[in-house]
Amino acid sequence: MRQRLLYLLTWCCLTASAQEQQGIALSGSVQSDMLIPQNDDKTGAEKTGDFLTNTYADLMLQSRYVDAGARLEYLEHPLPGFENDFKGWGVPNFWVKGRLGKVELTAGTFYEQFGSGFILRTYEERSLGIDNSLLGGRILAKPVQGITLKVLSGKQRRYWSWNKSLVSGADAEIDLDAFLPALQKHQTRLMTGFSWVNKYEDSDEHVYVLPAYRVHFPKFVNAWDVRVSLNSGPWSILAEYAQKGADPSFANNYIFRNGSAAMLSGSYSKKGLSVLLQAKRSENMSFKSTNDVSKAIGISSAINHLPAFTQDHTYALAALYPYATQVADGEWAYQAELGYNFKRKTPLGGKYGMNIKVNYSYVRAIDRQFYDTTGDPLAITDGYSSSFFKWGDDTYYQDLDITVTRKLSKDFKLSLMYMNQRYNKTVVEGEGGMIHSDIFIADGKYQFSPKTTLRAEVQYLTTKDDQGDWAYGLLELSLVPHWMITVADMYNVGETHIHYYQGLVTCNIGQHRIQAGYGRTRAGYNCSGGVCRWIPATTGFTVSYNYNF
Amino acid sequence: MRYITICLLTLLLAACDHIDREDRLIYEKPVTSRRAVLLEDFTGQQCVNCPKGTEIIDQLVETYGDTAVIAVGIHGGPLGFKGNATTLGLATETGDEYYNHWNLEYQPVGLVNRHAPINYPEWAAAVKEELAKSAPLTLTASATAEGSHTLHIGITATATDGTINGKLQVWVLEDGITAVQLMPDGSANAGYVHNHVFRQAVNGTWGEDITIREGESRHREYTQAVDAGWNIRNLSIVAFVYNDSGVLQATKTPIR
Repeated sequence: MRQRLLYLLTWCCLTASAQEQQGIALSGSVQSDMLIPQNDDKTGAEKTGDFLTNTYADLMLQSRYVDAGARLEYLEHPLPGFENDFKGWGVPNFWVKGRLGKVELTAGTFYEQFGSGFILRTYEERSLGIDNSLLGGRILAKPVQGITLKVLSGKQRRYWSWNKSLVSGADAEIDLDAFLPALQKHQTRLMTGFSWVNKYEDSDEHVYVLPAYRVHFPKFVNAWDVRVSLNSGPWSILAEYAQKGADPSFANNYIFRNGSAAMLSGSYSKKGLSVLLQAKRSENMSFKSTNDVSKAIGISSAINHLPAFTQDHTYALAALYPYATQVADGEWAYQAELGYNFKRKTPLGGKYGMNIKVNYSYVRAIDRQFYDTTGDPLAITDGYSSSFFKWGDDTYYQDLDITVTRKLSKDFKLSLMYMNQRYNKTVVEGEGGMIHSDIFIADGKYQFSPKTTLRAEVQYLTTKDDQGDWAYGLLELSLVPHWMITVADMYNVGETHIHYYQGLVTCNIGQHRIQAGYGRTRAGYNCSGGVCRWIPATTGFTVSYNYNF
Repeated sequence: MRYITICLLTLLLAACDHIDREDRLIYEKPVTSRRAVLLEDFTGQQCVNCPKGTEIIDQLVETYGDTAVIAVGIHGGPLGFKGNATTLGLATETGDEYYNHWNLEYQPVGLVNRHAPINYPEWAAAVKEELAKSAPLTLTASATAEGSHTLHIGITATATDGTINGKLQVWVLEDGITAVQLMPDGSANAGYVHNHVFRQAVNGTWGEDITIREGESRHREYTQAVDAGWNIRNLSIVAFVYNDSGVLQATKTPIR
């Protein structure tokens, strides 16, 4: 199978240029991240191989009626920190998409999201090792203006195999404004959507909650989602609710309680001002495409995804303690964000204007009252009761950050950020208690000439918890259009006194980008959208190559 | 549109699989043990979920008895703790070697009769399956203490079903060790009592070769020094014979 797909990929490459003349467009990309690891007694980094690489090559052919694509992945010697089953190589993604009138049909592997992803989101996130695409078929139809229907069914990818359960679903989105002239007249968009997802698994998994009591897994697990959104002028509101039926799993300790997720989000945006307010409550929403514990553990096999209500920070110390959404245990999450541009030539805006951004995120446990299971095995399957609006005792995460960006002169721009963070390490990582930190960041960019820019970052994190204070410095020289040179050092002031230094040279030539460097990275979590992966410490030479065509 | 709606509703109804509360669990009578089963629990004092694994082991031992279910807590791996000047650690270099050899990823994780690593919710099913199998040999062990510093260990293996080719492994275990353990709620329990803790491999990390023809017996004797940190009254000996197909038989005996 793998060989045949490789041949197909090669054939596509060879014939593509000829076909380009016939209205067929070829596009693709190559991404290769490489590491030559070294042992490092200071950081605990281990040389796990001579040469490690995660390499991907995507190829896509597009024509008027038919598109086709495939991806070659070479992960035979993967970068550190991925699960054992991540290792391998082959062509796990291949698809053909046909369009005819108002119908689009996809066969092969595909990604899909219903609504906010509460009950279905398949996606690829290479930095986390996630690719939970479905292998099967999907029909998308737009029978009339304003109505979009989707029906799909497939088996979910788990690294180099597909889980044996069948994931099926349907989604309908109706733009009511298309049918109501009054809404059109006021340039108001009102959308309502309904989704349904079903997992069918004839499980041969034998799991005992007690030595004589085996879990009776349901063959079908249903989940549904309903949502409505309203957009009018600068205002936007989205309300969404999802529910999942009984789905005993390793993540929820084999309880039969329904899962649910509710979200209310409102925003206001006009030139120079933006406000976002949102709240979300979720419980017991871990939805995996396998009951096999060894496959369900970790971040693979997730059918759904709950969006994080916390910032994905890019500054190194702001991202030191990233939050991971508590999908199984549930959480109350709130986020408020305000952005404001002070105009030029005003007392606060100064000569060049000023931007201020304030974000507040707060994540709290939901109320859970566990049933007494003494002498009643069935009580184990009830789990707990929960009052919808009541909070649990623990704060999981809190982040208040304020960023002020101002151009101080024609050539110099400065960003200052302050962040106050509370990170419940016990909840996210299993132990460590609450870490309360204050983070100060200054980011300055000076343009020496139209082609030469120097950017500098100074960051300091202060805390009495965990490993104490951290300091970080970075210098980045950009010589457009081709070169960028970066040196950085992250230093633990509080406990270990270890330097995590890094030097990188980046070169861009046409559609090629290559980055080479040497340095150390600390052990810690890499998170994206509330999903996290543990990465061990590494030391060594790195090369990263990207090519798009 | 109407057709699609009807199809979806039909599919939705067909896909309902409500399980009544009283049917959520299936009662299965515990099997009658036909042999002993070795459960290697790869655990660690810094592993918050490891007490959950221990709870499963306690239930299994209560159901089948400690001569049928022979559990060994092997402390090591990334969540193991080797101790420092103030805090007792139970992880050993040998424990790390076993953890790395089996290419394990999570803790707790277990090997039941040295088949593929499985997570603790699956231990009960695997133990049950193994207990129902017959063993191709019998194993008996005896261990006596000479003073408080030396153990004399005797192991007798008899092949009962074909010729046995494998390795004989002998370990020292200790019960009743009070040492800190991280708990599922993240707290540190300084008064946690650790049982069946792997202490040392008596005859090498991977044991020694043994071949027995059907109907024949082999007897091996060992002398083991008692480490100053061990409580001799809480020690026991575990012996097992294994090969590429897994653990063929196991036995456990206290020190007399």
